[in-house]
Amino acid sequence: MQPTPVPLDQVDLADLDVFEGNRAWGMFDTLRREAPVHWNEEHDGGSGFWSITRYDDIQAVDKDPESFTSMKFTNLEEPPEEFQDTRRSILETDGPRHQALRKLLMRDFSAAQLRRYEDFLRGLAKATVDNALQQEEFDFVDSIAADYPMAVLVRLLDTPPEKTPQLISWGNEIVGFSDPEYARVLVNSEEAKAYRHLPFSSPVSQEIYDYGRQLRAERLGGTADDLVSKLVNRIPEDGIPLSDQDFDNYFLLLVVAGNETTRQAMSHSMKALIDNPEQLTWFLEHPEKAQVAVEELIRWASPVYHFRRTATRDVELHGRQIKEGDKVVMWFASGNRDESKFADPYTLDLSRFPNDHITFGKGPHTCMGANLARLEIKILFETLLPRLESIEQAGEITRVRSNFVNGIKKFPVRVRAKQV
Amino acid sequence: MSEGSTISGTRTTVREHEGDLVVESAEVVAEDVVVLTLVDPDGDSLPPWTPGAHVDLILTEDLIRQYSLCGDPSDSRTIRVAVLRSPDSRGGSALVHDRLRTGATVRVRGPRNHFPLIASPRYIFIGGGIGITPILPMIAEAEASRADWQLYYGGRSRASMAFLDELTRYGDRVTLVPQDELGLLDLTTILGDPRADTLVYCCGPEPLLAAVEERCATDWPVAALHLERFAAKVSQAPAGGERSFELVLAGSGLTLTVPPDKSVFQVIEEAGVSVLGSCHEGICGTCEQVVLDGEVDHRDSVLSESERAANDAMMVCVSRCSSDRLTLDL
Repeated sequence: MQPTPVPLDQVDLADLDVFEGNRAWGMFDTLRREAPVHWNEEHDGGSGFWSITRYDDIQAVDKDPESFTSMKFTNLEEPPEEFQDTRRSILETDGPRHQALRKLLMRDFSAAQLRRYEDFLRGLAKATVDNALQQEEFDFVDSIAADYPMAVLVRLLDTPPEKTPQLISWGNEIVGFSDPEYARVLVNSEEAKAYRHLPFSSPVSQEIYDYGRQLRAERLGGTADDLVSKLVNRIPEDGIPLSDQDFDNYFLLLVVAGNETTRQAMSHSMKALIDNPEQLTWFLEHPEKAQVAVEELIRWASPVYHFRRTATRDVELHGRQIKEGDKVVMWFASGNRDESKFADPYTLDLSRFPNDHITFGKGPHTCMGANLARLEIKILFETLLPRLESIEQAGEITRVRSNFVNGIKKFPVRVRAKQV
Repeated sequence: MSEGSTISGTRTTVREHEGDLVVESAEVVAEDVVVLTLVDPDGDSLPPWTPGAHVDLILTEDLIRQYSLCGDPSDSRTIRVAVLRSPDSRGGSALVHDRLRTGATVRVRGPRNHFPLIASPRYIFIGGGIGITPILPMIAEAEASRADWQLYYGGRSRASMAFLDELTRYGDRVTLVPQDELGLLDLTTILGDPRADTLVYCCGPEPLLAAVEERCATDWPVAALHLERFAAKVSQAPAGGERSFELVLAGSGLTLTVPPDKSVFQVIEEAGVSVLGSCHEGICGTCEQVVLDGEVDHRDSVLSESERAANDAMMVCVSRCSSDRLTLDL
């Protein structure tokens, strides 16, 4: 459904109330039409940022790391200079080192490599669905969307199953860094200042580091084919081994990025299918088109609202003067609703093809786990939907208080399972 | 310089610096080698660059040539390129020599860097002929970072070798090898001591690059060697232009044709087969496909030399096929 446009003078993408209330879309629409390069003040001490909201502009910024660097960090938070290097992961690295570190695991996430997990994923999806469908009412996030991607990650990292709940709660806390329900320490709070040396200024990061170090010690020198073993035993192509910090932050990224966003994409997809029952029917009637359908679900979901870059030079864009050092925010979610790129962007059309959405970013920092997320989502819905006689929303949805992750916290559903 | 340009022909839009610069000086520094110093007409700063970077000189609409920057990266007022008048020139270098005199204007795009200098305690630099150009700012940086380095610079004759005067200040770190006096560069000795702490950077004519590659392949660490091929990387289309080839999608039962002006990715997508991609520049790895048959012409930055040689996977957004038929497991 087309959102209500928000007048330009009321647009504020730093206001987390907007996102908690799911009201960003009307602001994105206004910005794309009236102010494609728009200055947004911040209210928590941040220096403000430029919002980039059109698809083509987002893509151009994301593909031009020489002008728009990731080295100055990629969320709105501005970590102090002295802590940037200790917190730096591949997300905040550019150039040859970035490519060398990325390539350590990049091909392990290729569609061809992931095929070997397909049977495992089908088994896992079936077990997850079997378990959820024992009840007629359940929370979709808790019972399906949270556990399933995490279980995949546990398989890829080969961590013991009893560690799974801990990994889920770590993921929640880290990505929900601006949501008081998730985060023990809110980013940009007074208390967080003690943790500014850690990613997301979160004490949880240290716990994840510690666990990663333990796994590294166990697997160094081994030949197992889990991601941790590969990470600790491979040499980057630039010949420079992973430092302790490189490893810490790489591991943390795998734990966090590997599950939270996929979960959100699944929840949004389920919500979209409930709201568009004819599309749910289309999915069931076109099993051969599942991959095409999943692309539309991913466009629709846009689980990551934005990533940030920093201008390395003065740039004029659409008549606005971006100055060297300014924060430049690429609103991926807005790009996915750009009417110049997607016909009827607010219509869920599972047959949309081609569908070159920008959910995973574009350019050198394109999401490394994109193909895994796609496969997980496809297999989940291929498993779940044929089992349902009906599914409906059974209460209010609550959202993560964040302008980074477009997240659903509570999503009660009522189902009638088909009799087998 | 103004910002904003679109490189058409692919779905890629890259915002790069592009603008007209003025030739502040054009100086012949060796036989058939002219050094152009370029400045912004309004005296504005030029975009920053790092050693190994190059720019496109847009000489005419369809005559675009890449030249390495060989000046000082800390000088934001000027950039400098050295251009050899190539006997087998397709017109680019001759046009530079004949028309780009002091005061002339030339359109410049970039800089960009596909040949970056990676930090290392030790380097061996090998320059052949005009291939010295990207090496010049590299040795300056190596010197500034107090790395231990050696440059071996070969050319036909002293008179043909540019920048000899600028190299004297480095003393015995630089070994000059004019072919008419000393023969070819002795790669057996130069590369005779493979070390894990040393990176090798080489730029020069194809036979030199091939010889260095061969030397390094046997006993140097895989990641030690960094090469720049003239006119490679950016425009990897063969001299005669792209050729078309047959594309078989084994899983879909389709036989298609990839014409010269379309990528494998585009042809697959236009056939209605779902293929996933993202960067469309051969860097993100998303569109990798399994190759069942055909000789892949790899043009991505994802696969290593050995992965390329395996010929079992390719990035369909940029890579093509050098045989007549390519079969994918799709």
